Amino acid sequence: MRRALWVELRRGTAPFAALAMFGAGVWVLAVHPDDWAGRWAGLADYLRVSLLVLCPLMVSAGAWQAGRERRRDIGELIAATPRPGWHSLVAAWLAVTLAGIAGLVVAFGGAAVLVARVATYGGGDWWQRASVGVLALAAASAGGVLVGRWVRLRVVAPIAGLATYVGLGILTYWNAPPARLSPADPPGSAYSLVPEWGTGLQVTWLVALTALLLAVAVRRWRVALLAGAVAIAAAVPISTAPSWYRAPADPAAVELVCTSSGPQVCLTRVNAFLLDEVAAVAQPILARLDGIPGAPRRAVDQAVRPPGASVAEDSDTVWLGLDFQATVFGGLVNIDYLRAAFRQMAGIECAYSLEIDGFDQRIHQADNMATDWLLDGTGFGVGGASAGLRELPPSAQRAWFADYLDAAGRCDLPALVRLAEQP
Amino acid sequence: MTTVSVAGLQVSYGKRVVLDDLAIELGVGVHGLLGPNGAGKTTLMRVLATVLRPDRGEVRLLGRRIDDRVGLRQARRRLGYLPQAFGFYPRFTVREFVEYFAWLREMPAARIPLAVDRAIERVGLLDRADDRMKHLSGGMLRRAGIAQAIVNDPRVLLLDEPTAGLDPEQRVEFRTLLRELGCDAVVLVSTHLVEDVAAACARVSLVDDGRLVFAGRPEELIAAGGDGDSGDSPIERGYTAVLRGARQVSR
Repeated sequence: MRRALWVELRRGTAPFAALAMFGAGVWVLAVHPDDWAGRWAGLADYLRVSLLVLCPLMVSAGAWQAGRERRRDIGELIAATPRPGWHSLVAAWLAVTLAGIAGLVVAFGGAAVLVARVATYGGGDWWQRASVGVLALAAASAGGVLVGRWVRLRVVAPIAGLATYVGLGILTYWNAPPARLSPADPPGSAYSLVPEWGTGLQVTWLVALTALLLAVAVRRWRVALLAGAVAIAAAVPISTAPSWYRAPADPAAVELVCTSSGPQVCLTRVNAFLLDEVAAVAQPILARLDGIPGAPRRAVDQAVRPPGASVAEDSDTVWLGLDFQATVFGGLVNIDYLRAAFRQMAGIECAYSLEIDGFDQRIHQADNMATDWLLDGTGFGVGGASAGLRELPPSAQRAWFADYLDAAGRCDLPALVRLAEQP
Repeated sequence: MTTVSVAGLQVSYGKRVVLDDLAIELGVGVHGLLGPNGAGKTTLMRVLATVLRPDRGEVRLLGRRIDDRVGLRQARRRLGYLPQAFGFYPRFTVREFVEYFAWLREMPAARIPLAVDRAIERVGLLDRADDRMKHLSGGMLRRAGIAQAIVNDPRVLLLDEPTAGLDPEQRVEFRTLLRELGCDAVVLVSTHLVEDVAAACARVSLVDDGRLVFAGRPEELIAAGGDGDSGDSPIERGYTAVLRGARQVSR
């Protein structure tokens, strides 16, 4: 087997599969680096999401490899040899699978180097999540081998790949329990822990599915029956279990890491690599709010309250959303997005629920003046009115903002109108 | 010693009977299988190569019936086969291709490297052993096909049109190889080139319309021909005479 595997790795579809998977891997990683940068679990989950593109490629590679005997008219020569057909088929499947995975590992290995440079949390179940993704690729190439072996169509490889893409797409975006059978369905968030039994079931499902597909490809019906039974036994609890999104938080991942000086900014350990950059944005804003009654005193990573974790709301805290906010080198993607969290704090949600006819534009003006003052003129300029506010003595500016927070908190619209005219 | 034995063989493609109650016995040595197009030569070769299951009849290779799984697998280990339509993997080198078939023939791993080199050397391709198959000429491809067929030192070697694409010099070398292989194996060569049979075969069988119409030594086939028969060589005249006689009998 080793000899045949080695030849297939060099001369079969394997080198092309490796190249295609490497290229696709680099491409998907480059499309949304903010999805995975700085977080191991983020990278593992991104691998899973990318299976939507990667699995069809493996299906195509498997189908192309399995159709080779027919394309090359060599079936008769092989049929006269004593070695059971499944030996050469497994060698060919293994070669495509190993090569495809190797190509992907090189691409994701590059991403892993970037993550390793900045990541502040290496625990959790990211390794298991990534492994499930790798098994899915093996299952995909087995599916391709089955199709390539059974369907006598020269263009079966691209058609099978396209069909897999559509099928996985439907399964992944179909908000129903069976969708969890799709390996491209991300198993949780970067802050949660998928229960071990869940990962175990997914591994069992994919291994049994792979065995089933290969067994059917070589007409080993008893093995296929056994593998099919195991696959069903694993698939039923997966598709009927509660969603992985409700998986409990990983306590170590959501442990807070805070600034040691200045106004308090706290990020979860998994996002702590962004602490300096986030503090540079949040601390000046918090400093302006220092001492103002009703104003928040600290900014905290909202990842501390992922699904399954309960953290009480309080007016002292501004919650910062940092998902999709990291660059591959550990910086912030968009500072304005972070500032928006403070702008939301200044917003008058109750006023915007009024009908357009009953809405006094001065309420909106007061809102914008407050935001502009809070963000030190870098937010949403409102011309003269905001300039008038900034011309007041600092103590008067702070008093105005305190009144604004008070009126906004009570949704006192006349008071907000007065505040808009006051400076 | 008889090592290939066929009795009462019948093969049909749909309603058309291709081989009809055919019986043949082959011992060690080189055997030529002659016959016009559509006579059933390739079908007989495919049955003997165990890739086509007959409708009826008994086939024994090396004393084993091939209709049971164990016997079939054992027979295939000692079988070499070059089909008429010879496919290959173009990205493989000659060495890799022959090596791959050595593996498929379940040769012991330790014996494979030496056996592969020997087979490639015997067909005169050693200097091209590391060339990819897609870079070989038609004649060289045929020789690579022969190399894969002989890599396991088969006791039964079936070659369907092996000299197609070989130039005259290569054909002469190939006949020498055939004689060498026929020293300790049953070699059955299906061909249209009757001169190859006259030069290399110890015995010759002639099939027409699915039936064996002649079995004997080449000299006997030559003797069957007369001056009035068509053909450029004595054996061609014998060939046409036997065919004509068989067809007159069947009418």
